[in-house]
This record gives sequence, structure tokens and C-alpha cells, in this order.
Amino acid sequence: MIEIILLLFGEAVMVFGALGILRFPDVYTRLHAATKCDTGGAMSIILALILIMDAPAVVRAKFLVLAFLIAMINPMVSHAIARGAYRYGVKPKVVVDMYAWDNP
Amino acid sequence: MAQEGLLVSAFYVLVFTAMLIAYRVVRGQTLPDRIVGLNTITTKVVVIIAVVSVMREEYYLIDLAIVLLMVNAVGGLILAKYMERRALHD
Repeated sequence: MIEIILLLFGEAVMVFGALGILRFPDVYTRLHAATKCDTGGAMSIILALILIMDAPAVVRAKFLVLAFLIAMINPMVSHAIARGAYRYGVKPKVVVDMYAWDNP
Repeated sequence: MAQEGLLVSAFYVLVFTAMLIAYRVVRGQTLPDRIVGLNTITTKVVVIIAVVSVMREEYYLIDLAIVLLMVNAVGGLILAKYMERRALHD
């Protein structure tokens, strides 16, 4: 029962992340929607797959390694992309820009 | 059984969201938009490979998903470094 709830939650998070990437006005808000929704949705779906399948313990350990790597790698890459986009010259459409205060 | 249909529905939902984001990759206004779309699509492809691996009960595919995730990390870092370097030369 809990794996079905986890799977449906992951699918809903994926769909809302895709809608956020399509409809948000700026690179940084799109990156916010992409990385939070994608990391949470992918980890939720993989935990549901671990609970669903019947396989030896080595295969389940591989799925856990995949979830751990998603949790480590995805925020790191999104942080690097945000920094590169700011250095590339894309200004955020916000009122307060604290990164410009710290790096004049 | 019921879980087989559930996994097939998860596969189709993931393919549908990847095709939604492909619009942003094709018609992004700037270069960072396209890079965000490519990164998200690659993470979705990793999850699709994991779902197919459980659905067909061929568990060697999960090694392929782990390798694709690591390649995604290296590629994203190289693209971010490329954006910084190109702004610095302009």
C-alpha cells in the first residue's frame, strides 16, 4: 500500500515540475522547480520500486546507491548551473538581488 | 497483476513529462534554459531505465542507470564551466 502512495506522489511531483519548467518566467525560478521537484520525485519513485520488486538484496542495494547518488549529484549540478548562468550574464527578474550585493 | 499496470502508467507519465520539457529545450530563450531542460530530461531518463529494469525483471539495467547519472553530473559541470568561461572572454 505504501509503495503505491509513494509511486503516485512521485508521478505528481514530476508532472508539477514539468509544468513549472514550462510556465515560470526566469532561468532561476525554472531551476528551482526543476531541481527540487526532480530530486524529490526521482527518489520517491526509486524507493517505491525498492518496495515493489522481489529481488535479491544486492539489487536492492544498487537501487539505494542510485537514490543516494541522485540526492548528492542533482543539487550540486543545479548549483553549478545557477552560478554559471549568473556569470554568463542572465539577470534574475526579481526585486532583491543579494548575489549582486555580495559580489559587486 | 495490478502493480504491472501501475509501472506501465509510471513509464508513460515519465515519457509525457520528458516530452513537455523537450519544448523548453527546443525553444528556450537563452542558453541556461536549454541546459536546465537537458539536465532534467537526463534525470527522467535515469528513472525511466530503473522502471523498465523492474518491469522486465532484467536487473543489469540498473548499472547502466548509475553510469548515465554520473555522466550527467560531469556534463552539467562542464556546461556550467563553459558558460562562465565564455562570459569571461566576451
